[in-house]
Amino acid sequence: MSDLDEFKATYFDECSELLTELEEQFAAIEAGERDADRLNAVFRAIHSIKGGAGAFGFSALVGFAHAYETLLDYVRDGRIEMSDDVVTLCIRANDIVADHVSAARTGEVLPAEYGLDEKARFDALARGESIEDEDENGEPLEEFDFEFTPVMVNLDAVGPSDAFEMGDAFDLDDAFDSAPLQAEVGHWEINFTPHRALYARANDPLLLFRELAALGDMHVRAVLRDIPPLAEFEPFDVYCSWEISLVSASVTEALIREVFEFVEGDCDIVIAQVGDVPMAQPKPVFVEPEVEAVVEIEEPPADLLALADDEVADLLSLVSELTTTPTAEPLPDVLADPVQDIFDEAPVMSFAELAASIPPPPPKPAPVAPVRAMAPASDSEESTGRSVGVQSIRVDLDKVDRVVNMVSELVITQSMLTQQMDEALRAKYTELVRGLEVLAQTTRGLQDSVMAIRAQPVKSVFSRMPRLVRELSSQTGKKIRLETVGENTEIDKTVIEQLSDPLTHMIRNSADHGIESPEKRVAMGKSETGTVRLSAEQSGGNILIAVEDDGAGINRERVLQLARDKGIVAPDVQPTDEQIDQLIFAPGFSTAEALSDISGRGVGMDVVLSNIKKIGGSVHVRSWTGKGTRMTLRLPLTLAVLDVMLVKVGPSPYVVPLSSIVETIQCSRASFERVPSGGQVLQVRGEYVQVIDLATRFGMASEHASESRFVVLCEAEGNSKVALIVDDIIGQQQVVIKSLEENFERVDGIAGGTILGDGNVALIVDVQGLKTNVVHKSAA
Amino acid sequence: MMMEALSLRDDMADNSAASAQNSLQLIAFSIGEQTYGVEITTVREIRAWNGATPLPNTREFVRGVINLRGTIVPIFDLRARFGDGQTSPTKNHVVVVMSVGDKWVGLLVDAVSDILTVSKDDIHNVPEGNSIDTELLNGIVTHDNRMVGLIDLHAVISGVRAES
Repeated sequence: MSDLDEFKATYFDECSELLTELEEQFAAIEAGERDADRLNAVFRAIHSIKGGAGAFGFSALVGFAHAYETLLDYVRDGRIEMSDDVVTLCIRANDIVADHVSAARTGEVLPAEYGLDEKARFDALARGESIEDEDENGEPLEEFDFEFTPVMVNLDAVGPSDAFEMGDAFDLDDAFDSAPLQAEVGHWEINFTPHRALYARANDPLLLFRELAALGDMHVRAVLRDIPPLAEFEPFDVYCSWEISLVSASVTEALIREVFEFVEGDCDIVIAQVGDVPMAQPKPVFVEPEVEAVVEIEEPPADLLALADDEVADLLSLVSELTTTPTAEPLPDVLADPVQDIFDEAPVMSFAELAASIPPPPPKPAPVAPVRAMAPASDSEESTGRSVGVQSIRVDLDKVDRVVNMVSELVITQSMLTQQMDEALRAKYTELVRGLEVLAQTTRGLQDSVMAIRAQPVKSVFSRMPRLVRELSSQTGKKIRLETVGENTEIDKTVIEQLSDPLTHMIRNSADHGIESPEKRVAMGKSETGTVRLSAEQSGGNILIAVEDDGAGINRERVLQLARDKGIVAPDVQPTDEQIDQLIFAPGFSTAEALSDISGRGVGMDVVLSNIKKIGGSVHVRSWTGKGTRMTLRLPLTLAVLDVMLVKVGPSPYVVPLSSIVETIQCSRASFERVPSGGQVLQVRGEYVQVIDLATRFGMASEHASESRFVVLCEAEGNSKVALIVDDIIGQQQVVIKSLEENFERVDGIAGGTILGDGNVALIVDVQGLKTNVVHKSAA
Repeated sequence: MMMEALSLRDDMADNSAASAQNSLQLIAFSIGEQTYGVEITTVREIRAWNGATPLPNTREFVRGVINLRGTIVPIFDLRARFGDGQTSPTKNHVVVVMSVGDKWVGLLVDAVSDILTVSKDDIHNVPEGNSIDTELLNGIVTHDNRMVGLIDLHAVISGVRAES
């Protein structure tokens, strides 16, 4: 892999995280949390995606992200209200960004008009509110846009301020919605001259200005006097610099420096604090960063004194609105004549500093807000911002997998050692026994910790589903609402990866076949909008993930009829309702195209079943006619290790997952009864349970006499039970699950394999599979 | 993991130095009087028979699965596959572990007999017919007056489920 490919891979990893974050943020925004933090997080995410895309030359993505960013910027500025329409548009935009990212990843080329509608709407929204259209054209990234609109800029028409020596300066004040404040008061003067390297590192001065603007009232002037004649113009050189004046009370030089922290070395920055001096000097004076250029105000300037009290009040409230920096020193009391008194007491402060220390006259001091409510622009800063208090590293999954595998082998070795200590040895070597016990504990702890590394909240899969539901909703014309519960439930990373497809199928199924059309729903007395509820919870050693809908439920007659037609169920068998529901997962049931138009279920559901089985899970479906359907996935917490009971069937060892075992009974004590079909049932506390003799079922001759055999009572899906007859019970242990399908294929009744302490392979009994197969078997 | 196979190939290096692309190297193994061969590049490992855990609901030529350094590998009884009944394996029987596509499988055979270099031109089609041989062989090569059947691994490992 070349370096570039690696960078790209990292970028795409980050993109998927950022897109997930976008989904999360908008879920909250949709729920009404329209605060600045959310908006900033969205802005950051889009900006990071754009930044990387620019570096790799994904121009379509950059173009779209840029337009989106502009809109977000306006929302942030308050020029556009975060209305429901805007939220909807943004959510759609997230989808488009996601599509662009995946197109960039796969190298696919999206149609040129893709996303143009939305982009046009951004532009329209932005124009509708913006002061001047030209605003955006001043931005350096404009050339990435889809449509290029040349804009005539009449430099002569731009009126340079007379205090400013710049016949060729271009006033960008409008872009920052200048407040009525002018430069007469004390302010910071910043000369910012970017070098080539700054652009080469994909930094954008505009973002720095935005951050500065967050600190106070800002004026920016672009210094264009160095632009050479076109003939000498070197496209990659930098000819533009900026002069910024920042009127802000509480801003310190350090804060300003911080804004430029990430471009340090790639530009010249001169920061000077100016009191009553005119706004710009003819030549920028370089001030060493350490030197605080505090200008003493011995006497307030005449024009300042002219400011009436009202104006001061306005000004102060404005300043405290703009500044969000907590003031270090205690705030002085509100004085009768604040300005004058403070001038008397503290003459060595700039006006800007003074203003900060005075609370706005009518209300009490502005609440202390986070120092930087505005988005930090750079990626590295962003990541630190996101993970406050949690330190994390990004590790290649392969490396973690290797550790997991080794721990698994350790678990096997440990259980092998324990297994081989027979009673005689135990009595003799007590120290060794104790050591083995400690080893067992440590192994267990190590294993738990390693598994915890791989555990992730299911959020990463769940967050993809709102988009799916939106798409389905628009495709089917149904109104569907998605509810998610328990998205912080953690589950093994490999399990999560396998979840996406099954969940997609299940939700699609709910939307396609479960939820009725709005008219039909209203006619049935239901709400117009159908609800699909996606939930996750931990239950013992399993994770239960359920997709529920409040739709029509499974049309059992149709399903049974189709199953009979296809020979899945014999004509003389009458399955229970529950068995019929389960039929939608039957292999072969859903493959025929003719079934796709049924009003019941069955499109692609065998895919769900096979995917879930592959990761050692099971699926259960429950339906209530007219009320809805619930599909539950039961998944192992981890794929690697399982607590099992080791049993013997004929000559071979088998393991039964401990999590499904209810109890074990000696055959002689169990009360079996014959049923007319010739099978056996077991009566356990008044309940009749289906009996499966594993030796018969697996075609293994049993050498044991029936009285020494055991019944293992297991719980299958939906609280139904099944009794397995085995020849012997060997004991409990931990095993590492190995796939049979890796080198072979699925075997009925077997969920996988495992390696025992003696190096032999034992097969894992698929309890659910054995039980559900009964219906199909009797059909065959 | 590749050691055995690699060393086999190293041994062959001298013999095969002269052989161009037109030749094929085979590992030959025997089942009773019959000799069969597979291309040497597919062979990963040769190991002694040490039992296998039987798989339920599979046909008789699936002997079960073994643990190959942490991976579960199915073992196919080649004699049974050719319809001659299951092998009664002893410690002297051999499992040839091969890769078929991305899967690893083991073939239970009586013994590994030789490494052969044959010319591709010498490969003949299997005579048409309804026999199992036709289905399971890719071709026939004559070597030192012996007939060597070229195993079609994909065919050998297919159809494993027991008919119920």
